Amino acid sequence: MLAAAGADIGVLREIEAWARRAVVVPDGAQIVDAHVHLGIDRDGHALAAADLVADMDANGIAASVAFPADEPGTDGDFREANRRVADAAAAYPGRIIPFCRIDPTRPTGQVLADADALGARGIKLHPVAQRFRPEGDECVSVVREATDRGWPVLFHAGFGARPLGDAFARLIDQVPDARLILAHGGRGDHRALAAATAGHPGVLFDSSIAALPDLVTLAPERIVFGSDRPYGDHAQALHLVGVAARVAGWDDTALRGVLGETLLQWIGPVGS
Amino acid sequence: MNRADAIRVVALAAQAEMALVRRDEVSGALLAQAARAAEGTSAAAALAEAGRLMRAAPEREAVRQAALSLCRMGLREAEAVTLASSERAESSRNP
Repeated sequence: MLAAAGADIGVLREIEAWARRAVVVPDGAQIVDAHVHLGIDRDGHALAAADLVADMDANGIAASVAFPADEPGTDGDFREANRRVADAAAAYPGRIIPFCRIDPTRPTGQVLADADALGARGIKLHPVAQRFRPEGDECVSVVREATDRGWPVLFHAGFGARPLGDAFARLIDQVPDARLILAHGGRGDHRALAAATAGHPGVLFDSSIAALPDLVTLAPERIVFGSDRPYGDHAQALHLVGVAARVAGWDDTALRGVLGETLLQWIGPVGS
Repeated sequence: MNRADAIRVVALAAQAEMALVRRDEVSGALLAQAARAAEGTSAAAALAEAGRLMRAAPEREAVRQAALSLCRMGLREAEAVTLASSERAESSRNP
């Protein structure tokens, strides 16, 4: 497709290889992507499971946490999209780790139960797309239910107008045992989020399309690798982590944690 | 790349990133400026190719996405320089 548009594929390959070289993967490290959308989003972005796994193979990614794109379906409850992600996980055991997507403003009990039965291992919530507040009663209820099931909850915390620090502080106050992953390094309100969550080991930040200054000011123990496919891509995501490691001076242990070990401690081992 | 050059590249590449996200036709010009500002640095190749792609086929979604990825990589390389030089400045103030 790019060749047809006049791209110099040789140059692109060289740049991609340079980007991958930015991160020196420590021996034995397993790369696990915390942030992938599967399906066809309302905004047109799309990713199929087979294409994801092909990209993972090309980039040395062992496994990916995947959840539905913003495609809530005619019922608006993501039930069908959750089932398709579960099907993808079944088709690629050990490679795709299914999270379900929920709209907290709608009835969620049966949707969560169905997702659990299909093998979901966490929840993705998007306060901007589904128009809810992280500290609102409906969201708190979903996070509490996820916590009861032992699931982490990945929140969109990127582009958006609302301040996020106080909102997430109030959510954590109400569900102190929750395990939260704030996407995009919390770039939507990073300084406030980092301050509000500093004393909470149950809050991690994913690196997908994060801002470099945000990542290098966080302790690496609080960062998990993410790509945000199909909005981001693996080469760019690996490049970001490699540059962050270089700037912040992460050692191999820290980098191993960021690339996969920290996330695996939350979601359990992967592998077919 | 010295700190001033890096800040210039960061500013241009960050504007180009948002223009690409918003599918704004100014993205090609901003990428061209960023690539010129980055000449001779580790950010140059990615920014130059992003600009070339957007001039060749700006209407193609695959091109926009590839350009966005390249733009972000160039931006991070320049940000890394500014962050490293900030660290050095901090260290010299607080030995």
